[in-house]
Amino acid sequence: MGDSCTNKYEPFPVVISRTLPQIGEHRLFQLKIEDGRSWEEFGHQPGQFVEVSIFGKGEAPISISSPPTRPDYLEICVRKTGKITDALFEMGKGSRLHIRGPYGRGFPVDELKGHKLLLVAGGLGLAPLRSLLLYVLDRREEFKDLILMYGTNNPDNVLFKYELLSFFDRDDIKYYYSVDRDQEGIWKQYVGLVTGLFDHATLSVEDTKAVLCGPPIMYRFVMEKLLKLGFPKDNIYMSLERMMKCGVGKCGHCAIGEKYCCIDGPVFNYTEVEHIKEAI
Amino acid sequence: MKKIAKHNIIAVLKAWAKDHTVIAPQRKDHDEIAFDTFDEASFTLEYTKSSVSPKQALFPQNEVIFRIEDGTYRQVTDEKKRLLFGIRPCDMKALLQSRDFMSKDFKDVYYEARAQGAATVVMACAGPQSPTCFCTTTRSGPWSDAGYDLQLTDLGDSFLVEIGSAKGEALASSELFSPIDDAEAGRLLAPLRKEAEERIPLVPQVLEVMEKLKLSGVPDDAWEYFGNKCINCGGCSFVCPTCTCFNIFDRVVSEGNGERIRSWDSCLYAGFTKEASGHNPRGTQGLRIKRRHEHKLLYHNDRKTHGAVSTCVGCGRCSDYCPVHIGTIEVAKHLTEKKS
Repeated sequence: MGDSCTNKYEPFPVVISRTLPQIGEHRLFQLKIEDGRSWEEFGHQPGQFVEVSIFGKGEAPISISSPPTRPDYLEICVRKTGKITDALFEMGKGSRLHIRGPYGRGFPVDELKGHKLLLVAGGLGLAPLRSLLLYVLDRREEFKDLILMYGTNNPDNVLFKYELLSFFDRDDIKYYYSVDRDQEGIWKQYVGLVTGLFDHATLSVEDTKAVLCGPPIMYRFVMEKLLKLGFPKDNIYMSLERMMKCGVGKCGHCAIGEKYCCIDGPVFNYTEVEHIKEAI
Repeated sequence: MKKIAKHNIIAVLKAWAKDHTVIAPQRKDHDEIAFDTFDEASFTLEYTKSSVSPKQALFPQNEVIFRIEDGTYRQVTDEKKRLLFGIRPCDMKALLQSRDFMSKDFKDVYYEARAQGAATVVMACAGPQSPTCFCTTTRSGPWSDAGYDLQLTDLGDSFLVEIGSAKGEALASSELFSPIDDAEAGRLLAPLRKEAEERIPLVPQVLEVMEKLKLSGVPDDAWEYFGNKCINCGGCSFVCPTCTCFNIFDRVVSEGNGERIRSWDSCLYAGFTKEASGHNPRGTQGLRIKRRHEHKLLYHNDRKTHGAVSTCVGCGRCSDYCPVHIGTIEVAKHLTEKKS
């Protein structure tokens, strides 16, 4: 496990301890290490990912949704969308699978500490960003103001609904939620694209670090907003999604220019990728 | 330096084969040259460059990386001690580059298991091995300057033997090798080298296109010109000595039992970058061709080049084998063409 393992391609067995249904084809899986050890020595950081192995189906990269501050379990939020995730959805509590990791450079927690944070998530982008969100909430005193913006396409597709609702009771996080469309007229918050939330939020650019995670289209428009507001480029971080096979910078699938998303990322400072045409 | 008579090569290979798996040029059906396990019957010293680069000796097209028994993954590594005989300087350079890449940041145990014990005997090129050779442009031939254990130069009825390492020293220690005065060897080598270098034509467009990619890039529609021609076969990646991209997949034998396999993959395939969501950050064939050429000619900073100008080592195989003429030479020439 972790660095103690000499062959980084070797997966180790874990057991599903709980499955929590999310919207539609999304499910949160809680994993335990087979021998019951804590995840502490796994050493994962917010924003990292694991390769999930299902025998006979292969491997898929999946981001870790839980923070290291909650080492009793490792959570992955999965969309059912291929061979491996189809097989995973056939599994329930007590099922055994394999994982390897943690991989990649996650959110730069140390650089974020002591600053105000603006987290912007779109759609399933909340799954990796949640590991940072919960980390900040668990160590709230180490960070200044916290703003969360989350946009999804319609009210039925809000991930982690109950967690998001629970922030209503907290005064140490400001939240802004949006849906692109609300055909049934049930949505009480903002209707429109996530970028529209910027017109409703009170943001101080100074001392604020922005962290983005969402579909590629979101980055383009959110970046536009942030730069217009005067965010310095090096105060903007983003988690990029790529097809990652090996997770260790060898197989070539996730290359973005001269970088490998799996080891140089998936989290990048904007200044590291702005010059790479295929990055965003 | 040493010398060995040509008629003694078979005896030397047989001696080396006692404690090595000797991989040597073999003449296959239809006169195809391939690097394969030494077999006296099909072994040949009359060979040009092999169709497929000898990279497969260390990085096979398909390899089992785990055997899965009752749901438990058991690592499979191949630690056979290999000796690569007769590889060309371009392929030697590629091997040095690939080994660095495969062991940087963390060691790829499968590649490393084969590479660490491997010995290399380079066959210097007296001239171009095919009209597509351009190693003098990429500075990766026709001689190896370093990295080999032994390097042979054809002197007619004998080979001059340069010794590049302690391992090489040991390999050339038998009485079949006779010593030759270094000064004399140098006198023999210099004109041969000079002549060989002159016989391999320079392709300045390769350097020009490298400069262009670095300074201004090439517009996407220029890549789409090739994208429209490309038949997506991936052959250029497979014959390329420096391509190391791979896929990982499982083969089920029975319930809970099977193999995890890795196999060569190619950035020319649409599925190479396609994500589970259906999103493909490299959505057109033109962009995929751009990636391949930028990785060879621009983004080689992820690999040490060992003195070559790029991670294209000028072997010309992509130009030899691409059925629709999208080899590095053709791409470089097209992209630097002066439009009148």
